Amino acid sequence: MRYVRAEDRPPNGDAPPGGRVDPSPMLGTWFATDKQSAGVVKLELAERDGAFVVRAFGAGSPEPVDWGEVPAVAYAKSVVSDEGMAVSATFDFGFLESLLAAYSKGGILVLDTFNTFKDGSGRSAYFSREFFHR
Amino acid sequence: MIARLSDRASDRTAPIDSSPLLGQWLNYDVTSRNICQLTLIQRGDAVILRITGVPDVDWGETPASPFALTVSGGDAVAFKAAYDFEFLRVAVLAYLNKRLLVVDAYSTFHDGSGRSSYFARDHFYLR
Repeated sequence: MRYVRAEDRPPNGDAPPGGRVDPSPMLGTWFATDKQSAGVVKLELAERDGAFVVRAFGAGSPEPVDWGEVPAVAYAKSVVSDEGMAVSATFDFGFLESLLAAYSKGGILVLDTFNTFKDGSGRSAYFSREFFHR
Repeated sequence: MIARLSDRASDRTAPIDSSPLLGQWLNYDVTSRNICQLTLIQRGDAVILRITGVPDVDWGETPASPFALTVSGGDAVAFKAAYDFEFLRVAVLAYLNKRLLVVDAYSTFHDGSGRSSYFARDHFYLR
């Protein structure tokens, strides 16, 4: 079994669980804790036809901006766990690509976004960190 | 165009200054089973990441993309990078927090070994 760090190896010879990570612990609608947020204001994590998907909403005026739904990847806390506790997904708007990466801890979802503009507008790539509750 | 209010262009923009990220970063946790150290260097216009996995596995170099805190640019506060080992892909996503570098590794196996995709976090200080 190949690895690039100790964490890649199942501890104590434990058998890997099969490769599928169950996203259920993260499913639901998550709301930004900051009601004045100018970033992502709502996330919907769901399973659709067996696929894990994310729908995001950005802060907008007068209404939030619906980003639509994209495939997501669920992550466990180790190679031998199948319980989802983190998620990543990429939204490509054409003019902008936003990588969303989040992990759940203590009932809170911590979201990092990595945003890169592709429209020649001169806007800088930027990072944000936001917190969500169900 | 915007996808959220924070995407709105500002009056002044500056290039991203990667210098706050550059240097050799060491893991605070000597018992970590993830990443022991990483180095970020500037090579021309590119920022290059090199990682050493625990116990002493050189991951080699890969380009890293720096990010500012706003669309106005300025000091880099975060970066993203990716490693493709064929059997394993790792997205390395990191941000600075008061001179602490918080590094998240999102790992996905592609070798049929049955290992779960997993998330790992470590904290690093600048040597």
